[in-house]
Amino acid sequence: MKKEILYRRIFEIIPGLLTWTTLVALIVLAIVRPVWAAIFVIMFDLYWAIRVGYLTTLLIFAYRRLEKEKKRDWLKESKGLARINGLEYDNTYQAVLFPVYNEGLDVLIPSIEALNNSHYPKDRMVVILSVEERGGVDPWESALFLKDRYKRNFYEFLVTRHPDRLTGEVKTKGANATWGAKVLKEFLDSEHIDYEHVIISCFDADTCVEKDYFGCLTYHYITNPKRTRSSYQPIPVYHNNIWQARSIARVIELGSSFMQMIETMRLEKFVTFSSHSMSFKTLVEAGYWPTDMISDDSAIYWKCFLHFDGDYSVMPLYVTVSMDVATAKGIIPTIIKQYKQKRRWAWGVENFPYVMAGFLKNKRIPLTKKIRRSFHLLESHYTWAVWAIIVTFIAPLPLIFGGGIFRQTTIGYNLPSISAALFRISLATLFICMLISMKLLPPRPKDVKPKERLIMVTQWLLAPAIAAFIGSIPAIDAQTRLMFGQYMQFHVTEKTRKNPLH
Amino acid sequence: MEDKIKRTLSFYFSLALFFLLLPIVLAYSLGYKIDYHALRAYKTGIMYLKSQPPGASVYINGKERKELTPARIEELKPGTYRVDVKRDGFFPWQKELAVRPNMVTKAEDIVLFPLTQEIKKVCDYDVKDFIISDKNYLYYMTSAGLFRSSLDGTNMKRLSSYSDWPEMIVGKKFSPDRDKLLYFNKFHIWVIYMNLDKSLVKGKDSVKVEEVLTSPDPIIDVHWYSESRHIVFVTDKYINVGELSGSEGERNIVILYKFNASPKSLFYDEASDSLYFTDSTSSKDRAYLYRLDLRQNFFDQLMQRLKKEFEIRYEKRDSL
Repeated sequence: MKKEILYRRIFEIIPGLLTWTTLVALIVLAIVRPVWAAIFVIMFDLYWAIRVGYLTTLLIFAYRRLEKEKKRDWLKESKGLARINGLEYDNTYQAVLFPVYNEGLDVLIPSIEALNNSHYPKDRMVVILSVEERGGVDPWESALFLKDRYKRNFYEFLVTRHPDRLTGEVKTKGANATWGAKVLKEFLDSEHIDYEHVIISCFDADTCVEKDYFGCLTYHYITNPKRTRSSYQPIPVYHNNIWQARSIARVIELGSSFMQMIETMRLEKFVTFSSHSMSFKTLVEAGYWPTDMISDDSAIYWKCFLHFDGDYSVMPLYVTVSMDVATAKGIIPTIIKQYKQKRRWAWGVENFPYVMAGFLKNKRIPLTKKIRRSFHLLESHYTWAVWAIIVTFIAPLPLIFGGGIFRQTTIGYNLPSISAALFRISLATLFICMLISMKLLPPRPKDVKPKERLIMVTQWLLAPAIAAFIGSIPAIDAQTRLMFGQYMQFHVTEKTRKNPLH
Repeated sequence: MEDKIKRTLSFYFSLALFFLLLPIVLAYSLGYKIDYHALRAYKTGIMYLKSQPPGASVYINGKERKELTPARIEELKPGTYRVDVKRDGFFPWQKELAVRPNMVTKAEDIVLFPLTQEIKKVCDYDVKDFIISDKNYLYYMTSAGLFRSSLDGTNMKRLSSYSDWPEMIVGKKFSPDRDKLLYFNKFHIWVIYMNLDKSLVKGKDSVKVEEVLTSPDPIIDVHWYSESRHIVFVTDKYINVGELSGSEGERNIVILYKFNASPKSLFYDEASDSLYFTDSTSSKDRAYLYRLDLRQNFFDQLMQRLKKEFEIRYEKRDSL
C-alpha cells in the first residue's frame, strides 16, 4: 500500500517536474549557451508552426464532417435500424443527468427545454436533476419546480439531493453525478429496464442539446459493435451566451471547441470531455464517476479504460451540444473566471498519476498500449504547459542574455526574423479559425447590435495575446500544485444569463 | 476519403515537412549555405547595410545587388569585400568590409550627403558676429544693431540699436542664468544684458551693452562664474575675477593667481567652478597642471580674506 502511495506521488510530480525542468533548463541554456538556446527556439518554432498547420487541417476535416453529418436525419436512420444484439430504436432509453450545484432556473430551463424540443420520444427519456445539498435551498426548490413543470413531458423526471460530505467523497461534480446515477439505477431496477438499453448523458447544467443529438447518439450506440466499451462524445460549443460574452472569453471558448473538434480526428488520444454520454451498463460496471477527482469528465474514461483492460474508446459524435461561455461583466473578472476554468481543465493532469498507478496494477493491458496512452496523456499536458511560454517568453531570451557577440552571429541576427516569420505562419491559421467560427455561430439575437458581428471577426486578433497569457500559465499552475501535493478543490464556474428565462 | 486516411496522410506530410524544412531553416539561421549539387554545406556571413537616407543601391566588389538599403546581404563567403553605397544626388559611400563565417557585419551609420547643399541666407544685414543660445535663438551683432531670430531666420527682432562692435571678437559666452552675454577681444570685455523677461517698451532698446573692463594685458579667455554675476578672465600674466555689479569705476577686480609663464592650455569647468591651467615652475623648463577651485565657499572665503587684507593695507596707509 505504501509503495502504491509512493508511486502515485512520483507520478504526480513527473508532469510538473518535466515542465519546470524544461523551462528552467531553457532559461539557463539561454544564459550559458545562447546559440544552443537559439537553435532550440528555431526548431521549436518550426515544429510549432507545422503542428498548428496540421491541427488546423484536422479542424477543417472535422468541420466538414460536422457539416456533412448535420444533414443526416439521425432519428429516421435510427428508426430504420434492424435489431442489433438485442437493441433497436424502440427499446433504447435516454437518461439525461444534470448535476446541479447552485445554477438557477435561468440556466436550467433552457437546458430542459432543449431536451423537450429534441427529436426523440420523451416517453423513453428520463431526466435526473441531482442537486448538491451544499448549494442551498434555492436550487432544490428550482429542481422541484422543474419536476412539477416537466414531469408529464418525460418518461420520468427524477430529482434527488446529494448529501454533503459523504465518506470517500470530495467536493466534485463527479460525486454528485454518481449519486444521481445511483438514483437512476434504483428507478431502472424498479422498472426492470436492462442497463444496456439505457444511454446516460451526463450534462453540465447549462448544456443545451441539438434536436438531433439523441437520434445521432442512438444510431451510433446501436450500430457500435462495442457499444458498452465506448463513450460517446459530442462537440461542445459555447453558443448559449456567445453574443453577450466578452470577446476575450469568446475567443478562448471557441478555441476550446476547436480543440475538441480536432481531437475527434485523433481517436487514439480522444478522451471524454465535459458533457458526454455512455452506456448505463458500462457506468455501473465501471463503478460510476470517480467521487474524489475534479476532472470527472475525463477520469470516467480512464476509469473505464482501466476497468475494461484497455478495451475502451471514445466515439466522436458530429453533433453539437451548446454551453455557456464563462464570462463576466468586466475584462479582469472575465480573465480570472477563464483562468480558473482553464486551470480546472488543466487539473486533468491528475489523470496521469491515476492512470499510471492503474497501469502498474493492471497486467492485462498490453505494454505498448500502456506506453502509447501514458505518453499521449503526459505529452498533451506537457505541451499545454510549455508551448506558449517557449514561443513568447523563452524565444527572446538568447537575444537578451546573449549580448553583443551573440547578436553579431548569424543565428543571433536571424533569430528574431525567423521566429517572427514562423509565428506569422501560425497566425495565418487564425483566418481559418475565424471563418469556421463564423460558420458555426448561431444567429444574432435581435437585441444584439450588428457591429457585434464585426467584433466576432476582429476578436481573433486577441488570440496571440490570450495564448501567451492564458495559454500555458493555468496548466503550469495546475501541474505545480499537483507536484507539491496541493490538491485543488472543485471550483464551479458560475453560470448566469443576462436575460433570465422564467 | 476516410477521415482516418486523410488524417494519417496529413500527419506524415507534416512530419516529412518538418524534417525537410528543419535542416534548411537551421542552415539558414546558422549562416550555412547548402550546395545541393555537391550535397555539402559551407559557412557564410551576412552583411547588413543601413544608410541615411535609405533606398540607396549597394555594390559588392563593383557588382550591383538587387537589395536597396537597409539591405541584408546574405550567403556571402567569408572574405573582404569592397562595398559601395550609392544614391542619385548624393555623395557615394565606400568601404572595405570583412565578412566572417557565421557572423554579421554591420554598417549601420552610413550617411549619404547631398551633392548640392541647401544654403539659405538667414540675415540681410552686415553681420559682425553671431551666437546661438541654448534656447534655440540666433543672436546677430550687425551694423544695424543686435538682432534675435529663430534658428531658420524667421521671427527676427531687433533687440538693440547698438552697433559699436569691435573689429574682431575673440570669444562669446552666455551666462549660466542665460540673462547675459559676454564677448571680448584682446584687451576688452563687454557684457550684453538681455532683460528679455521684462516687457519691451516701444522705441527703447530691450537690452543694454556695456564694456565691463579693459585689461592692460592680452586676454586669453573669459568665463562666467556659476552665479552669473562675476567673470573669471585669464590674461597671459594673471587669473582675475571681476564683478559685474556697480558702475564701471567701482568694480572689484581681484588677481587670483600670477602665472610664472604664459599658460599653454586652460579649461574652465563650469560644473565645479574650477579652472585648470598649466604653468611652469620657476625653473621654467617644465609645465605642470594646476587646478584653481572657485567654488562658492572657497570663493566667498577668498573674497573675504582679500577684503580683509585690503582693509589692513588701507588702514596701514591711512595710519602712515
